[in-house]
Amino acid sequence: MIGKGFYQTLASPWLWGVLAVAACLPLVLNSYHLHLLTLALVYVALASAWNIVGGMAGQISLAHSLFIGTGAMLSTALLLKFGINMWAGLVIAAAISGALGAMIAWIDFRFQLGHLSFVLITLAFAEMGAIIVEGWEFLGGASGLLLPRDTGDLLAFQFGGGHGAFWVMLGLAAIIVLVNVAILNAPLGYYLRTIRDNEKAAQAIGVNVLRHKITAMTISAVLTSIVGTCYVRYLTFADPYLLATPTITIEIVLFATVGGLGRPFGPALGALLLVPLGEVLRGQLGGAVPGLHYFIYGVVVIVVILATPRGLLPLAERAWRGLRRRGPEPRPASVS
Amino acid sequence: MSEFWQALAQGVLIGSTYGLLALGMGLVYGVSGIVNFAHGDFISLAMFMSLALFSAFALDPYVSALITIPVMALIGGLVYRYLLRPMAGHQFLMIVQLTLGLSLVIQNGILMVFGGQPARTPSIVESKLIILGDVVLRLPHLIAFVVAFAMAIGLYVMLRSTDFGRSIRAVHQNARAAALMGVDVGRVQVVTFAIGVGILAVAAALLLPGTPITPTQGLQYTVITLLVVVLGGMTNFVSIMLSGLVIGLSEAFGQIYVSDTLGRLVPYAIFVLIMLFRPQGLTWRTS
Amino acid sequence: MLEVEGLVAGYGGTPMLRDVSVRLAAGEIVGLLGANNAGKTTLINCLSGIVQPMAGRIVFDGQDVTRATARERVELGIIQVPEGRLVFPEMSIRENLLLGGFCDRARPHRPAQMEKVLELFPRLKERLTQAAGTLSGGEQQMLAIGRGLMAEARILMLDEPSLGLSPLFVQYIFEIIDKLHKDGLTMLLVEQNLNLTLRHAQRCYVLERGQIAVEGDADIVKNDPRTRQAYLGL
Repeated sequence: MIGKGFYQTLASPWLWGVLAVAACLPLVLNSYHLHLLTLALVYVALASAWNIVGGMAGQISLAHSLFIGTGAMLSTALLLKFGINMWAGLVIAAAISGALGAMIAWIDFRFQLGHLSFVLITLAFAEMGAIIVEGWEFLGGASGLLLPRDTGDLLAFQFGGGHGAFWVMLGLAAIIVLVNVAILNAPLGYYLRTIRDNEKAAQAIGVNVLRHKITAMTISAVLTSIVGTCYVRYLTFADPYLLATPTITIEIVLFATVGGLGRPFGPALGALLLVPLGEVLRGQLGGAVPGLHYFIYGVVVIVVILATPRGLLPLAERAWRGLRRRGPEPRPASVS
Repeated sequence: MSEFWQALAQGVLIGSTYGLLALGMGLVYGVSGIVNFAHGDFISLAMFMSLALFSAFALDPYVSALITIPVMALIGGLVYRYLLRPMAGHQFLMIVQLTLGLSLVIQNGILMVFGGQPARTPSIVESKLIILGDVVLRLPHLIAFVVAFAMAIGLYVMLRSTDFGRSIRAVHQNARAAALMGVDVGRVQVVTFAIGVGILAVAAALLLPGTPITPTQGLQYTVITLLVVVLGGMTNFVSIMLSGLVIGLSEAFGQIYVSDTLGRLVPYAIFVLIMLFRPQGLTWRTS
Repeated sequence: MLEVEGLVAGYGGTPMLRDVSVRLAAGEIVGLLGANNAGKTTLINCLSGIVQPMAGRIVFDGQDVTRATARERVELGIIQVPEGRLVFPEMSIRENLLLGGFCDRARPHRPAQMEKVLELFPRLKERLTQAAGTLSGGEQQMLAIGRGLMAEARILMLDEPSLGLSPLFVQYIFEIIDKLHKDGLTMLLVEQNLNLTLRHAQRCYVLERGQIAVEGDADIVKNDPRTRQAYLGL
């Protein structure tokens, strides 16, 4: 089913080398730098999950804040209001997100929405989600929800603060990137690309557009929701404005675009570069100049789109090949 | 019953400004096929410019519009020429991302300059009320209604009966044929974008009195504008103005008859339903 | 009046035209013949400034216009009546004609010019306020030619004027072309319809896969076996 490209990636020493090095980082980094990396990994995971729909199938979904919001706000609310274990909450939220995703994909297919209409409808759904979260006390309303302190009880979905959260995010990000590689090398990947390039033609040659759209959107939504649950556990505070408004989706879209759409490592590259940059700027200057990091994201996005519309990944790959040919010790940091 | 008339009046008055916001976007979409996701942030920018002019020279927003309109139009023209036109020929979707990036830049540029606290730009007419039986109207809303429709009619006449207006419509209907008639298509696109952004400065002045503004409001305005434009069938002037009224009314009635929060859902719900079942919007024409 | 020398042009690197040279004298009707994809439309789009040539020269009235923009060429009077007519469907006939005279050179004389055009096409006069999109194919072709004349064309380039029209309309359109010729208008007639073009043009060029295969007086071109060959793509 899955092509050999996937197994090649899986067997690549680089992949495991980078992961092993990354896994040791908590032992050397101070807590601030670890926080930066954890945050970067959250966005690597989110952008890579989004990539399945937005990059490979070419459908700019702005609805992903629904899935992040469900994963974060719903699982938190279930724990606080009904005492439901957050592991169960994670599963429930992921199932609901998957169903929402499938529904959106079905609507998209049923009504033959064009690319633009899809952007607009998903944006409308996202805005509705934000309004519902804000107006519904159960999900925390406008003031949000506070999770109990993380005591490291794995059974209660607690990972023991900084180190644990980093490892969870690293694992999650790695899995989602690998899911990208797997889909790209599976028939689903080919179908999604056909749909992206010409949906009518895909349909005419017998590609089951509905099934593949639903599959892609459901996988993407479930993964996004899971990241949402883990992210809120790390943050401890379920902030509706951060987790349930379209702004977070826009960030994800922009990271993915800067990195390179449709390729498994592109969105990861974008997030790894931009999130730490933004956080450092915010940490250094956030008090004096609020908004600077978003401002810079915006400028980077515009410059990258104008200069290299396919994103930074093609450039990075060229540099990487050059390094490998010339130097005997390429730095592993340039792969994600 | 007075509640009903109140909502009706308020919906119509606010909706006319929404219609004006959407005309700018529809015009641009018509000649360049661009949907500008930074639309609402341009509105923000115009509003904060008015705020700055008020703080510096105590200018009433209705007066400072005389300055913000040309400045915004110029900014619009430059943005089109240097950011959007180079994307011609690329995938349409990249323009979505580019304008989203632009939205971040404008929104946070404003935040950096003005800070995140909600602000107000007062006007002398701000608290003037007009009482018609049971219905209380705010004078700024009435002014907004009159100016928005006057602008819309002015634009309509311009498009119908001037050579420049005809060249805009020619580019919309067939850009290649327009070029063969000696119409400078690139120039028409730049100028139209400038006009579209200039209109926003007018709408900003109309919305300002009595409305608190924050740098992060842009996306909401973008979404409202999108609702109206899509509802109006993207380019049809008359139905865009009508859609503005529909959205304004649904918001006003939603807030009065449903709860405040859930009332805000009503326009979106209408939008989604119309997108799905009448994707051509409220247009009557079939072509 | 118009001289094209060594023109090379195409889209995305592969030339559709290779070393094409064409001449038009004032007052002449020149036919440009060739099968589908021979490069006829590319050639007149080059002349209109919509396609930029990779090499070669276009001289109009002694002035080098190779690099001139589409707008500048309209100002000079090089006017194309495009294939498929491309009228503005949601505008009235009157507005279409007004747009035809959009360029600075023609704009001041629009009312008088419109009189002339409507005299030539009485059928358009009857439905001046009708939307162009609702006209029949033949009426749209009249409108497209009328729109071109509104620009006070000095060279009118007609791209496939007979395409998709009923025989009666084709005959009518060619009568109009003869009438315009009598008034001294220079025309470049791009056609697939071989016999019709040979009957109305004084001289012809036959394009075959981007190159001129045959050229000369209509009679000569008519009897040249290579003409038929070019058409059959042998």
